[in-house]
Amino acid sequence: MIKLRQISKSFGRNEVLKGIDLTVEKGEVVAILGPSGSGKTTLLRCINYLEKPNDGEISIDDFTVHCRKPVKKDIHILRQKTAMVFQQYNLFRHKTALENVMEGLVIVKKLPKDEARKKSIELLEKVGLGNKLDSYPSQLSGGQQQRVGIARALALNPEVILFDEPTSALDPELVGEVLAVIRKIAKEGITMIIVTHEMSFAQDVANHVVFMDEGVIVEEGNPREIFQSPKEERTRQFLARITPESTYVI
Amino acid sequence: MGAQFDITYVFEYFIKLLPFIKISLLIVAGSILLGLGFGFLAALPRLYKIPVLKQLSQIYASFFRGTPILIQLFLLYYGLPEILKLVSIDISKLPVLLFVIIAYGLHSGAYVSEGIRAAVSAVDRGQVEAAYAIGMTGFQAFSRIVFPQALAISIPILANLVIATLKDTSLAFTLGVMELTGKSQTLPTMSRHFIETYIALAAVYFMISFILEKLFHLAELRLLRHETGVVKASRISLVRKWLNRELPAEIALNKGGSGI
Repeated sequence: MIKLRQISKSFGRNEVLKGIDLTVEKGEVVAILGPSGSGKTTLLRCINYLEKPNDGEISIDDFTVHCRKPVKKDIHILRQKTAMVFQQYNLFRHKTALENVMEGLVIVKKLPKDEARKKSIELLEKVGLGNKLDSYPSQLSGGQQQRVGIARALALNPEVILFDEPTSALDPELVGEVLAVIRKIAKEGITMIIVTHEMSFAQDVANHVVFMDEGVIVEEGNPREIFQSPKEERTRQFLARITPESTYVI
Repeated sequence: MGAQFDITYVFEYFIKLLPFIKISLLIVAGSILLGLGFGFLAALPRLYKIPVLKQLSQIYASFFRGTPILIQLFLLYYGLPEILKLVSIDISKLPVLLFVIIAYGLHSGAYVSEGIRAAVSAVDRGQVEAAYAIGMTGFQAFSRIVFPQALAISIPILANLVIATLKDTSLAFTLGVMELTGKSQTLPTMSRHFIETYIALAAVYFMISFILEKLFHLAELRLLRHETGVVKASRISLVRKWLNRELPAEIALNKGGSGI
């Protein structure tokens, strides 16, 4: 179980997160929605400390990081319990698909090389890239790179995988293959927090939807509640703006 | 005046100059190694934005890029012993070659520090974040992810620097070092065939530069094998911007160092 308590973050005078409380149960798939600038990506990046929160607490099961005075070792542990899939994939460009997935296993988890290789091949096969093991990122399409990114995140057996707009940088025809992979691993019961603009995907895959605006959580609940009968006016306006009429039912 | 042009002297002097290649290459190798050390030390405070040290490294780079190498040679060889004499340290007996190598080392170090900064900044920040996200430490992220890529990117800078240093070593003759140029000054004293010496000398320098250029090109191909053609070209051109040896300009690529 992941618990965020009173997470706040400012960039200079700009207060991006204003005390966020969020609880994510094990196995839950959380979709964070909201207009750009609402702080959803920042919140996600705070969970694995790529962004340093000014205050608050992050707990994963019984392990807690106090953000006001974080211990360096705790940040390191937190990062090993979480994994991130980036909007821009961020693969290691000088390593092959296989090496990208193996890197964390060998260097961080200190697994023997052949064991790491075996596990990495399995994961790449799972994301449908069993035939691209030795390709470098520059030889892969965006969708393929992102699937390597997902395999790299899965490799570390994290408590939670954080997806930061995983399909926003992709050509429309490549979005489907990435969403299919995410859908597949969601079914395996891995806890996931996804920042996304794919409304129908969020509605379909998530079992917990969070709507953020201006650094606060405006509303959260199950997808049915949020998409079909949002309580807050701001949620309603947002959904009306970005959901096509045909799929939007009030 | 010189004697009438006679091409046979070109060949004769070319052969006579060959043994002195090793002195020139010794200066190049010694000073590049020293320069890599100085450059790395000078680049770190600027990459990590360490106050005071950062300013010192900027002054160092500006000074050695902004003053002629000939003056630096004179300052180090004639000036430093005089200054150290004041505190009763006598270094005037040390071999000239040592002064020369240190002077060229300091000089190339200034360029290396700029090159390292540019190359490290050219490795995108996202990969460092990805390294942190899978649980790597700062050192692991630097040594496993940033450094190998920065090295590949900086090969053209290094190649340029090595060839520039090779040509600069010709100035060491002013201190009486018997490298290629120094030797070439002595060859025609009897025969008076000056032009022939210079032709032979130019041919020797060109031959070495040409070989070095080819070797570096091979190294670059090998280290950048993970990039496809287009990306490779754009990444290298990013670095070529920093190759201008005339301007001690401040680098401001995005926000400067990637602050790892």
